Amino acid sequence: MERQVTPGARFVDPKILARIGNLELLARTVVEGFINGLHRAPFFGASIDFAEHRGYVAGDDIRRVDWRLYARTDRYYVKQYEADTNTNVSILFDISKSMQFASRGIPKLEYGCFVGACMAYLAQRQRDRVGIITFDSDIVTHVPPSAKHFNITLHTLDRARAERPGNLGVPLNKMAEHFKRRGILILISDFYEEPDTILEAIKPLRFIGNELIVFHVLDPAELDFGYDDASSFEDLETGEQIPVVPESLRDEYRAMIRAHIEALTTKFSEHRIDYTLLNTAEPLDRALFSYLSSRERLMRVR
Amino acid sequence: MGFLTPLFLVGLSALAIPVLIHLIQRERKRVVEFPSLMFVRRIPYQSVRRRRIRHWALLMLRAAAVALIVLAFARPFFRRDAAVIAATGGAREVVILLDQSASMGYGDHWQKARDAARAVVSGLGRDDKATLVLFSRNAEENMRATSDRSRLAAAINTAKVGSGATRYGPALKLAESILSRSPVKRREAVLISDFQKTGWSGSEDAKFPDGMTLTTASVASPSTANLSVPSVSFGRAAFSGQERVTVTAGLSNKGDEPLKDIPVVLTVDGHDIETARAAVAPHASASVAFAPFTLVGANVRGSIHAGSDPLPADNAFHFVLSPSEPVSIVIVDGLDRSDASLFLAKALAIGTRPVFQIDVTSASRVSPPTFDKRSVVVLNDTPFPPGSGGALKRFVERGGGVLVVAGDHTTLPTGSTSEADLFPGRLAGSIDRTSARSGSLGFLDYSHPVFEVFKAPRSGDFSAAHVFRYRALEAGPNDRVLARFDDGAVAAVEKKAGLGRVIVWTSTLDDTSTDIAVKPVFLPLVHQLVRYLAHYEAATSWFTVGQVLDLTARARTRAARIVVSPSGERTTQAGMGEGTEGLLELNDQGIYEIRGTGASGGRPEAIAVNLDPVESDLAPLDPSALVASVTGHATSVDVQQASPQEMTREDAERRQSLWWYLLLTGVGLLAIETTIANRLSRKEKFL
Repeated sequence: MERQVTPGARFVDPKILARIGNLELLARTVVEGFINGLHRAPFFGASIDFAEHRGYVAGDDIRRVDWRLYARTDRYYVKQYEADTNTNVSILFDISKSMQFASRGIPKLEYGCFVGACMAYLAQRQRDRVGIITFDSDIVTHVPPSAKHFNITLHTLDRARAERPGNLGVPLNKMAEHFKRRGILILISDFYEEPDTILEAIKPLRFIGNELIVFHVLDPAELDFGYDDASSFEDLETGEQIPVVPESLRDEYRAMIRAHIEALTTKFSEHRIDYTLLNTAEPLDRALFSYLSSRERLMRVR
Repeated sequence: MGFLTPLFLVGLSALAIPVLIHLIQRERKRVVEFPSLMFVRRIPYQSVRRRRIRHWALLMLRAAAVALIVLAFARPFFRRDAAVIAATGGAREVVILLDQSASMGYGDHWQKARDAARAVVSGLGRDDKATLVLFSRNAEENMRATSDRSRLAAAINTAKVGSGATRYGPALKLAESILSRSPVKRREAVLISDFQKTGWSGSEDAKFPDGMTLTTASVASPSTANLSVPSVSFGRAAFSGQERVTVTAGLSNKGDEPLKDIPVVLTVDGHDIETARAAVAPHASASVAFAPFTLVGANVRGSIHAGSDPLPADNAFHFVLSPSEPVSIVIVDGLDRSDASLFLAKALAIGTRPVFQIDVTSASRVSPPTFDKRSVVVLNDTPFPPGSGGALKRFVERGGGVLVVAGDHTTLPTGSTSEADLFPGRLAGSIDRTSARSGSLGFLDYSHPVFEVFKAPRSGDFSAAHVFRYRALEAGPNDRVLARFDDGAVAAVEKKAGLGRVIVWTSTLDDTSTDIAVKPVFLPLVHQLVRYLAHYEAATSWFTVGQVLDLTARARTRAARIVVSPSGERTTQAGMGEGTEGLLELNDQGIYEIRGTGASGGRPEAIAVNLDPVESDLAPLDPSALVASVTGHATSVDVQQASPQEMTREDAERRQSLWWYLLLTGVGLLAIETTIANRLSRKEKFL
């Protein structure tokens, strides 16, 4: 049995982390900060990476004037650097009751916890500030991002219970008002709402330039609707029961969930939001690996 | 098709139940939790397949079962059948009255009667029901209302001629009773008989109401010639200590032709001991006397057979003879008069049936052996014999009789002695009626066996006897007063103790206190008193068919008895005191044997039973007269045939009884459905 030194550390599977540890988690946009790191700072500042020159304006620090360029051009230019700094990483974790579902294997909630913990660990290793917000139809717990909040984050994940029905709009709007600094927002949910509604709820998070990473966690049963017997299906959140003969509507269901995922993929990509579908039946490390690979690939393209 | 209770057809709406079962029950309450039904909800109809009926055979079975059960409750019937039945007059209820009296044994009467009965049975319709009643003296339902012709025919085939006399009254009453219970409109009785005139007196209260018809089938022959032996008489005479009996047989010729040189055979104990020849004029009687024979023992069986004719049953006459047994009497009289019992002894010395064997003794000589083998003890105006109270009491309780003639000298035990309660009432002092007008007997209980013979007018004048002196007696509550004097004082009182009887006569039976001893009633009175106290019954040499014999009265032992009828049928009669009535109905002509179950020695008791003499008179009755008397119509017109009545819906439904089949089929279908459904549910994971 692995010795657990930190509450919630069980979410950090060493095998998973062994594979993730070789990758760099790179922020797409520059986040403001001042500590050197892998993330690029959203503002120009003291750094080793030259960004560009710009014309001197009154008030600029004359120490930044590129005198060599002045000698060649006889004009004052100021050198600007892209500073590497630490950033705020907030995990937005949907703990609505639907996340409790598990057809086989682990529930979506637990799977989300793993994902969140992995992300938090990675961020912490990069000396990013880590925080977490759990929500269902409202904000349940709020741990502000902090360099010291890694353990609390893990603790919060550990204590997360899916007990109430969920609603993305209200809590995400509240969060949008709350974020004053740009950072990385990792949203983990099963997104049981219309794509447009989801997008409308997420949009405010992007207003101040946050980097948004979306993990769509679904159970295999939600994807393939692999039921055989006619039964009464009960909505976990509303309690509504509908008699269903699965074999008669399986194809239609699959088509609809596929359309839902495609719509989300399309809409998120349109808004430059990273979207990853995670199947709880698939290994966690593979999901993270594919995600981080895609992020790295994107960074290189840029 | 019609329905008796069409409201039940509303229940056909229950046909929806199997459909609902198919649709609803299939969706068993298994709940699957799912994160969100937002996509499921969007599909136009989720449970399409649920509504699809997969097992049409099951559904059909369920629906058919429910429909059949509902139809059964609605009590369906076919109007067409009802109409057809109505057109033919409807079903009939027929009672076949088949005469099985002894006279039906005449020639081929019985064969003709059975043929007639079979003809009636074969004429029965599909829905007709018939009851076979065999009758002679009484009527008995031999086969209850049935449509099964084979059973009726079998019952007719097994029927036999009996020995009873013909009586139409009970049979017609039984037929009327059966028909009146029938709900059917057409009710008929068919009387098959030889219509003996003697069987119908006209006073029988047998009347058929309107709607019942009586049809007759006569099997009587034009010739009614018949010779019979209606009676036998016996002359008894003592000869060298034995009894000799002279048998005289009566012969009766009911025919129109004279009968000559008829052999008349006397058989005793199975041996033909004499054959006499006789001639009888037409419609006349004659007698044949045989030579006397010695009666050597009890229960000697004899019979007379005279000639031969188509009715042999009444040509024989059976009898049983036993030697006469004297009634033993001991008269205990006073000490002071030697002729105190003169009148009594003289009176009892007269008579042959029974012969009284009299011993006179004085009270002082009485000892317990004095009562041995006695039937009656007479205490004739004497003090109570000292020291004999207990013996006397035992004598009475075993069945003996005591006559106390209470004169001035009479004393009876009183107080706390055990024998005090043996005697009725309490004897008081003498009442002297010599001072004024003498007394007389004012009240006699004619219902008592002692005085029953004096019941008829001019059968004995007790008022002629004068009574000058008698003893006062206060009767107890359990005592029966048999006679009172004109002043109301008790003249005779009886008390029963055990099996025996005690009678106290409060005056004397000589010429001292009354002059009854010189009156004509004295002799029969004394004989009656002694016969009654001795339980004497004249031996009956024969009985008539139909009589009922009380075997307990004839019992000499308490053991059970076996009765063997003339036909060889053995029945066991339980012993006395076992709660049985012990009655034996004598239905067969011939000799009945009665023997104890244990004892094997000695001749068994025998009882001779003969035909009722009236059964020999074959003169026929006009059947139409009988029909007219019973139905009130001159002829047996079949009213129902003339105007067929409409069969009611209830009748049609009851006759067809379709509901029964429908209900059975419905239940059967349900059972099949259950079996199939169980098998299917086992095959399928989830219906």
